[in-house]
Amino acid sequence: MLDADFMHEVANTPRGRGILKCIQCGRCTSSCPVARVVEEHNPRKLMEIIILGLRSDVLPKTLPWHCLSCFTCLDRCPQGGDVGEAMFAIRNLAVREGNIPAGILAQARSLFETGRVVTPTRTALIQRKKYGLGKEPAFDVEAVQKILRKTSFDKLIYKGS
Amino acid sequence: MLEQHAALVIGGGISGIQASLDLASRGIKVYLVEKTPSIGGRMAQLDKTFPTMDCSMCILAPKMIDCAHNPNVKLMTYSEVKEVKGSAGNFTVKALKKARYVDEAKCTGCGICAQHCPAEVPNEFDEKIGMRKAIYMPFPQAVPRVMTVDKENCIECGLCEKVCDLKAVNLNQQPEEIELNVGAIIVATGFDLFDPAVIPAYGYGRYKDVITALELERLLCASGPTGGHLIRPSDGKIPRSIAFIQCVGSRDRRDWIGNAYCSSICCKYAVKDAVLVKEHIPDARVAIFYIDLRAFGRGFQEFVNRAKTEYGIIFVRSSPGEISEDPTTRSLTLWFEDTTTRSVQNLNFDLVVLCSALIPRKGIKELADILGIEVDKYGFFKPYDALAHPVDTTIPGIFVSGYCLGPKTGDIPDSITQGSATAARVVEVLAGGR
Amino acid sequence: MKYAFFLGCLIPAREPSYENSIRKIAPELGVELVEMEGANCCAPFSIQSVDYASWLALAARNLCLAEGLGLDILTLCNDCYESLLMTNAILKDDAELRNKVNEILADVGLEFKGKINVKSFIDVLYEDVGLEKVKNSVKEPFNGLKVAVQPGCHLTKPKRIHFGERMGITALDELVEATGAKSIAYERKEACCGGPLRGVNDEVASQVAKHKLDSIKGSGADCIVTVCPFCYIELDMGQLEIKRHLKEEYNLPVLHFAELLRMAMGMILTDLEIRSHKISLNRVLKDRLQEE
Repeated sequence: MLDADFMHEVANTPRGRGILKCIQCGRCTSSCPVARVVEEHNPRKLMEIIILGLRSDVLPKTLPWHCLSCFTCLDRCPQGGDVGEAMFAIRNLAVREGNIPAGILAQARSLFETGRVVTPTRTALIQRKKYGLGKEPAFDVEAVQKILRKTSFDKLIYKGS
Repeated sequence: MLEQHAALVIGGGISGIQASLDLASRGIKVYLVEKTPSIGGRMAQLDKTFPTMDCSMCILAPKMIDCAHNPNVKLMTYSEVKEVKGSAGNFTVKALKKARYVDEAKCTGCGICAQHCPAEVPNEFDEKIGMRKAIYMPFPQAVPRVMTVDKENCIECGLCEKVCDLKAVNLNQQPEEIELNVGAIIVATGFDLFDPAVIPAYGYGRYKDVITALELERLLCASGPTGGHLIRPSDGKIPRSIAFIQCVGSRDRRDWIGNAYCSSICCKYAVKDAVLVKEHIPDARVAIFYIDLRAFGRGFQEFVNRAKTEYGIIFVRSSPGEISEDPTTRSLTLWFEDTTTRSVQNLNFDLVVLCSALIPRKGIKELADILGIEVDKYGFFKPYDALAHPVDTTIPGIFVSGYCLGPKTGDIPDSITQGSATAARVVEVLAGGR
Repeated sequence: MKYAFFLGCLIPAREPSYENSIRKIAPELGVELVEMEGANCCAPFSIQSVDYASWLALAARNLCLAEGLGLDILTLCNDCYESLLMTNAILKDDAELRNKVNEILADVGLEFKGKINVKSFIDVLYEDVGLEKVKNSVKEPFNGLKVAVQPGCHLTKPKRIHFGERMGITALDELVEATGAKSIAYERKEACCGGPLRGVNDEVASQVAKHKLDSIKGSGADCIVTVCPFCYIELDMGQLEIKRHLKEEYNLPVLHFAELLRMAMGMILTDLEIRSHKISLNRVLKDRLQEE
């Protein structure tokens, strides 16, 4: 099923505007370090199927989640297609439809619960003490939760919250 | 003949040459001012030209000789226009004839001075592949056929002066300011190549075997630095695989590149050069990497078809990401995604040719200010009206022709056509029209 | 020179030795690090992938804290640098977005005004402290130790955010050479280490890291110098993963530029710090011993 509005939906999502400029030259995929390793990760192809309107081939799939956000593609694109930015837009749309890999979900929940994406290991705490670095920096969890509730971030990462 | 029934042509490439010859044949005196020591321009650097696949110099040289011998053409080479005053029908121009430290009237271009000169410099005409001496003739068919001393690189040993039997070398020569009175001016200053070193991913400047198309032409040309033997600049071996990359710096909107336009002739010359490479090295693997193949105009699509079927040239729809070099074998690896098969791959090549954007010549803004004409955002001269008056400028009596007008103009036949068009406009102005 | 010190999550969570090195060398260079009380996570790549507004608001809160101190931010981690730098640029430029984000920040009593700048430690060393001062602080230079510099993607890309304002890779090369080490050219210097996918897709992360490490191995470098804690983990611990799964060994020690500079300044790393590196630092320490 082709969704004629999909391209414009992406173009109107924050960070997705560049999709309208893509001329399908392939320089992004030619530069992408992941494309050389994972056959299905193909930034140009992602832009292509967005432009064609194949919504169901994009949002539920793993394609956008292999991106490293290294921005090599973005720097090399001759037309301002901003593929690297469009990847974020696609991921934002995918999350809204419930597609979020386990590793990302774990970091997001850690952020909501502790104010940080990763918490110190026991080794790190011991090392800290031994180096004489003093008390561990405190993260303002309350402020983080206030902000993330306001943006409905919590609804994205907890089912039925 | 009134002095005002004279015209000035700035730029001695094919476009300016054509304009000068057209005007001269109408009995109009033409001052042909050229910045470098010889007329000829870019066409003199080329090997063979599409569509006829004629030897470029063979077509150009007779026209250059015509300019030299035509009583109505006054060649002012190694000269630059410094000031322009007045208006259509009556311009006063101040030109600076730079000192070439050689008496043009005495020098026969025999070259004995160059044989003795100890100072060697990369040869601009050969795109810095070959060397020349500090006293030099830019190429064998130069017009005028005289030597020039490049004072910046001259070590002032005086040997050239000593060995010249005709006493043609004069190391005390002074530049000359010449005042001209002309009725109309034609500007035909041509183009430079975008420097691909600005795109570090392609390795130009780091890898010796990544070259521009003009460098390739010099390597293919029988009068070039390798005598027409196509060899790798790094080790002199014959390349068995050659890649062409299109749109290097063209169709590129990025701030630090800034040439959003299509240079319009690169697809043409790339296919032509690919065919020439195959003719030099028939069993070479030759591939052209393109975004869109712009094969417009008479005979060109057919030429592309022949390139595929008769010459076995491979066309890959892809804009490669980067080039890397194996430090021991010097083999170049191209990473690309073939957009038709959707496969990401890398291929090794012995030589990579970058089809680099064509940009305005260095110094063009200064010339535009001297003439009082406008340039566009890329630095090309602006026509008075891009649709209806494509060779006029905003200043009546001043006309522009050839690639300095920008990539809308195409290749050699277009430059010749525009040369004739501006000549016709000049005749109108000199006859009292506008 | 005073800066609002933004430490981020990862360094205290995994690499306190990096923090230790910074705190030891900063005073020697006249750099004062002011704590950002209650700073939150910068909202790195993983969080940006979830939601746009959340990213901008979280990053902006940190910018507000620095504005409150009246100081530019100094970051160590490339991901923090990128997140804060981009947010700062976006909100300074786009009034509509700025208003939207300030509506969210009002809930926590803050307002983004766009008064400060975000700098990486490398920016501070190169632009504010200056190469001369760094060179003068070196008391025990290295003996031409061959270093493969790993600038990390977010130190210099996207170019349009970093270009013209930051010297990026050249600055890092010059700083490394100021310590007496030699910055070695290698093909995949600007390529990604694979770090962002560690913990999300380990297999891909390892393969991307492998491409990078293959290139470094081929260049003849003795060690790798990093700026970003993600790169550090990916290339240090990552070598163990690659050894286990892809059966390739490199023995390339990885250390932060701050640690390199600290040693060059004449300070020694403690045993514990040395052992916290998964790949033995012997090749680097051997260069130090060559002095005697």
